[in-house]
Amino acid sequence: MSERPSRPNTPAGGPAAPGHPAAPGAPAQENHSSPVGVIHDIGYRHYGGGRLGRSSATAALAVHSLRGIFGIGRTARAKIIPFALGAIMMLPAVVSIAIMALAQQRGMAYPGYAAGMQPILAIFLASQSPYAVAPDLRFRVLPLYLSRPVTIRDYVGAKLAAMAAAILLLLAVPLTVLFVGELLIDLPGAPLTSDYLASMAGAVGYAVLLASLGVAIASLTPRRGLGVASIIALYLLCSGVSTVLAATMESVNDYAAAGWAWLVNPFFLVDAAVHVGIFGTEPAAPGAYPGGIGVAAAIVAVLGLIALSVAVLIMRYRKAASR
Amino acid sequence: MVPVMTILATEELSRSFPRVTALDRLTVTVGPGVTGLVGANGAGKSTLIKILLGLLPPSAGTAQVLGMDVAAQGAEIRRVVGYMPEHDCLPPDLSATEFTVHMARMSGLPRTAARERAADVLRHVGLYEERYRPMGGYSTGMKQRVKLAQALVHDPRLVFLDEPTNGLDPQGRDEMLALIRRIGAEFGISVLVTSHLLGELERICDHVIVIDGGRLLRSSAIGEFTQTTQTVTVEVEEGHDLLAARLIELGETVTAAGRALLLQVRSPETYDTLRDAVCDLDLCLVRVEQGRQRIEDVFKEPADV
Repeated sequence: MSERPSRPNTPAGGPAAPGHPAAPGAPAQENHSSPVGVIHDIGYRHYGGGRLGRSSATAALAVHSLRGIFGIGRTARAKIIPFALGAIMMLPAVVSIAIMALAQQRGMAYPGYAAGMQPILAIFLASQSPYAVAPDLRFRVLPLYLSRPVTIRDYVGAKLAAMAAAILLLLAVPLTVLFVGELLIDLPGAPLTSDYLASMAGAVGYAVLLASLGVAIASLTPRRGLGVASIIALYLLCSGVSTVLAATMESVNDYAAAGWAWLVNPFFLVDAAVHVGIFGTEPAAPGAYPGGIGVAAAIVAVLGLIALSVAVLIMRYRKAASR
Repeated sequence: MVPVMTILATEELSRSFPRVTALDRLTVTVGPGVTGLVGANGAGKSTLIKILLGLLPPSAGTAQVLGMDVAAQGAEIRRVVGYMPEHDCLPPDLSATEFTVHMARMSGLPRTAARERAADVLRHVGLYEERYRPMGGYSTGMKQRVKLAQALVHDPRLVFLDEPTNGLDPQGRDEMLALIRRIGAEFGISVLVTSHLLGELERICDHVIVIDGGRLLRSSAIGEFTQTTQTVTVEVEEGHDLLAARLIELGETVTAAGRALLLQVRSPETYDTLRDAVCDLDLCLVRVEQGRQRIEDVFKEPADV
């Protein structure tokens, strides 16, 4: 056979190879002749170290995706949108702190922060959630994941966790900065600790719901542009329908129906379910939400939408995997 | 632990899709070393690999990989095997290093081990400085190397290589084949490599399995294949007989095949002989083509010669 491979432990490349095999007994003349900085092919080495389980692989995937969502480890251009949107999310907090410091008045309310900044969050969701899932479908990286111990559930879970963590960061950082600012400035009266905690719980609700919706929609197409457009279109549709319906109902003095109409917007839905429903804060929507059964309905709707999105994702990836 | 002498085994393995039967009661056994899986496009090679990875349930029959059942122990199998798909699978905005490290971590390697293994494996497949550049700018040959690296990065006991020479130029093809041979012989990793070209697998495999239409045509050690010698098809405008006579005179083996001649390649010098003969006789050469052995041809031959 002419195809026999060379033996292991032979030096790679011509220049490093001495005239005769380097016997252990004759090192003296090798010293000056072997050039510095030559890579020796020491042959293939097997890996004898530890192998971690599925959970740490899933965690590594989530961290990798989270970094990717913020453009870390990608090109400089990929960092512009997420960091610019993150900076815009900080603006109300910074302005509110300035108002507190200079005018001794409160600026932005904690629970209203996310709803007030909803276009920014929607743009972030639309621009970044396709990045989390679309390239793996488009460039067919998915089979490489599935040929490893990671399962479809792990994969979907990691992607959802990464997107939810990204949105949580986008909300929790300005809220916490605002709260720390309030504590440092020490306004007259007690600090609004309960409002801050309610808004943080709401941020978790926003993060999970928005990430589920965004990633589920984005996973339906391998094309990022289409994913971006679909998510932004869905947001515009929901908020538009919600506003028009509510305004129409208010114009005929049907305020109960107007309250329901606000819930069509997912941002007000979370506000109604978590902030108003569970923590009893003031609504962020221009009108009041339906009380009583409305709170239960909002909570059920949030959980239902999350479950639906996860189910869509699992089904989508089952299908993608069997291709 | 007793060394596993059977790397994989299937028993009456079948898989039907709504319109086609991809695998039809396939029973094969594969030992250590490099095994070639040959078949035309659509013969069921990729389906077999997917079943062996535990990604696709078989319609009937059983399969075992490294002594583990594919239906019950898919996750354990995927931990110790590597897979290089036929299709492109590289995100263009990552570098080969980042990608390979990531894939190592997906196989459960800790962070530092993943980095070391990725660097090692990329060097073994022959990627050097370019491994820090985004993969979008890679040539097909470099992409195939990264695809191979990610299949090896977690030091599997067995790798499935699906059409690894696809799209490569002749030189890249040779390099890839030599690399696969090294993986089997020197790295000590068993290899199941698919191709639709028997001729190319003959050069590197210890054992070849030929399937067609999901059925086993033949499974045997490479020495048992009789047609290991290569042939070239030669066509000239006029003077076939002259050329044939001249080549036989020069000690070559020639057979007539319709309007063309089949010349057996004994050594690279045969090509020189052919060239000189054509020049000397002043013939118009129309075609010189590497004899593409049709898989069916092998089975028309008597099985044990």
